[in-house]
Amino acid sequence: MKKYLQIIKDTWAEYMMYRLNFVLWRVRMVMQILVVYFLWWAIFSQKQEFFGYTQSMILTYILLSSIVRTLVLGTTTMDIGDVINKGDLSNFLLRPFHFFHYYIARDIGDKLLNFTFAVVEITVLYFFLRPPIFIQTNIVTLLFFLAAIIIGTILYFFFSLIFGFLGFWTPDVWAPRFLSFVIMEFFAGALFPLDILPKPIFFISQLLPFSYFLYFPLKVYLRQLPIEMLLQGFAISIAWIIGLMVCAQVLWQKGLKVYTAEGR
Amino acid sequence: MVITVSHLKKFYQTHQKEPGFLGSLTSLVHRKYQTVKAVDDISFDIKEGELVGFIGPNGAGKTTTLKCLSGLLYPTSGFVSVLGFTPFERKNAFLKQIALVMGQKNQLWWDLPAIETFLLNKEIYEIPDAQYQKTLDELVELLDVRALLKVQVRKLSLGERMKMELIAALIHAPKVLFLDEPTIGLDVVMQKKMRDFIASYNQLHKSTILLTSHYMEDVRQLAHRVIIIDHGKILYDGKLDNLVKKFAKYKVLSVVLDTYVTPDKFKEIGELTDYNFPKVIIRVPRSASNVAAAQLLEKFPVDDLNIEEPDIEDIIRDVFSSNLK
Repeated sequence: MKKYLQIIKDTWAEYMMYRLNFVLWRVRMVMQILVVYFLWWAIFSQKQEFFGYTQSMILTYILLSSIVRTLVLGTTTMDIGDVINKGDLSNFLLRPFHFFHYYIARDIGDKLLNFTFAVVEITVLYFFLRPPIFIQTNIVTLLFFLAAIIIGTILYFFFSLIFGFLGFWTPDVWAPRFLSFVIMEFFAGALFPLDILPKPIFFISQLLPFSYFLYFPLKVYLRQLPIEMLLQGFAISIAWIIGLMVCAQVLWQKGLKVYTAEGR
Repeated sequence: MVITVSHLKKFYQTHQKEPGFLGSLTSLVHRKYQTVKAVDDISFDIKEGELVGFIGPNGAGKTTTLKCLSGLLYPTSGFVSVLGFTPFERKNAFLKQIALVMGQKNQLWWDLPAIETFLLNKEIYEIPDAQYQKTLDELVELLDVRALLKVQVRKLSLGERMKMELIAALIHAPKVLFLDEPTIGLDVVMQKKMRDFIASYNQLHKSTILLTSHYMEDVRQLAHRVIIIDHGKILYDGKLDNLVKKFAKYKVLSVVLDTYVTPDKFKEIGELTDYNFPKVIIRVPRSASNVAAAQLLEKFPVDDLNIEEPDIEDIIRDVFSSNLK
């Protein structure tokens, strides 16, 4: 247990070494929220309802998504491809500590830090903008919301690991990852709720893992899903977790056999 | 036996790519693969507490062997056993007893002081507090780095960083230590300190050490036994002294003359390798060294004469270049 705490501590210490970098990263996140926020603000200045969403529902969705994304999409696993290609993976393989566990600990550190800052930022924004937001008070719904976030987090962790493990076979790890970012931002529902999309695209989005990163937890929070959709969502996302977990394990085992521990 | 290696082979598949974007495209469709035999059928045993030097030119397979022994690489074929474990399985019980230090690799957190990495390793290796403090104090004393523990790693000099790397690798007091070019890039003073440290560590802890180096001095001063490897094959395995007898086909006559003699006169004695009056260096076949010396004393104005063994470095160079042919 203490090793995990030490890694979390070191991860924080590392961020604090580069305060400016961290602050600018947070500024970027705030700007991103504001852009999307004001876009929707402008749309709702014309009408009361849009695709079945009221202004307060959409603004809640946008603001809350920026908090949820720090938990689900905040990750340190981005650098795994480079770690493999530069041969730094050797440092992990030589120590009696599983590589996956190391990144889980690091991610917890990263997520907690970003989460704390996001909560503070959103609170400040709330007092400036005074948006009409929707507060969910139903405990059961909040528990489902929490479960959906945890599932999304695990799902994204393995998704990101798999992209990192491409590094065993190719030095070009950033091109496929960048492509996945573009697709993911869209299908995760970071910019808008996915159910305003045309029916066929919406249907496909629910089969993909991306919608369970942001869209699904937020819809759970807003309590806009009928019970069968709720169960279906949990079933599909858990199936994806099992699939991606197995895939990550297999790639890891196969990758280690071709790993060449290259030097710099 | 602490380490047993039997018929170990490690082959790599590499593909060649033409430069440029077009080259990338063609390599996607049609790839030319090439098999590199990094390690080609080697066998050796190492006993507990032995300090063995592994020497060979760049690309000889030294590092690949160490990586196979420490479980980083999956051997193509052959048998490897270290402390009774199969390295590639990387069981925790195995990893807790070994360390691999690579002169060109760092495990220290670049942006944090070195002490943070030591603390992390303490937790990872599950070292009790008292033992950690004792080992750390001992290593810090030996390497004289107390003042640097809290300095950000990126601000340390190469030599200082190498010392910290060693501490990070030794904090769990490994029974088997693999050192890959531990003195690379260090100045002569630091090289000597590093050598002294390795020697005293070996004596103090009775740990088994396998060391690779480009520098003959490292091996000469540290290892009683050397394994010479080239093109993935072992050329010699044994005592350093015996290497000289086995491979040196000549001896060196070092002469000081009284009066000048034209260089071509020495031809009948042996091969003139250096002439800087009054000093003359002549190579003669091993078996004929006594005769040659007698001849010299008789026919030349010799003031002083010594029969010497050739330099180990020269012998090894000869071994490698004859292996090329």
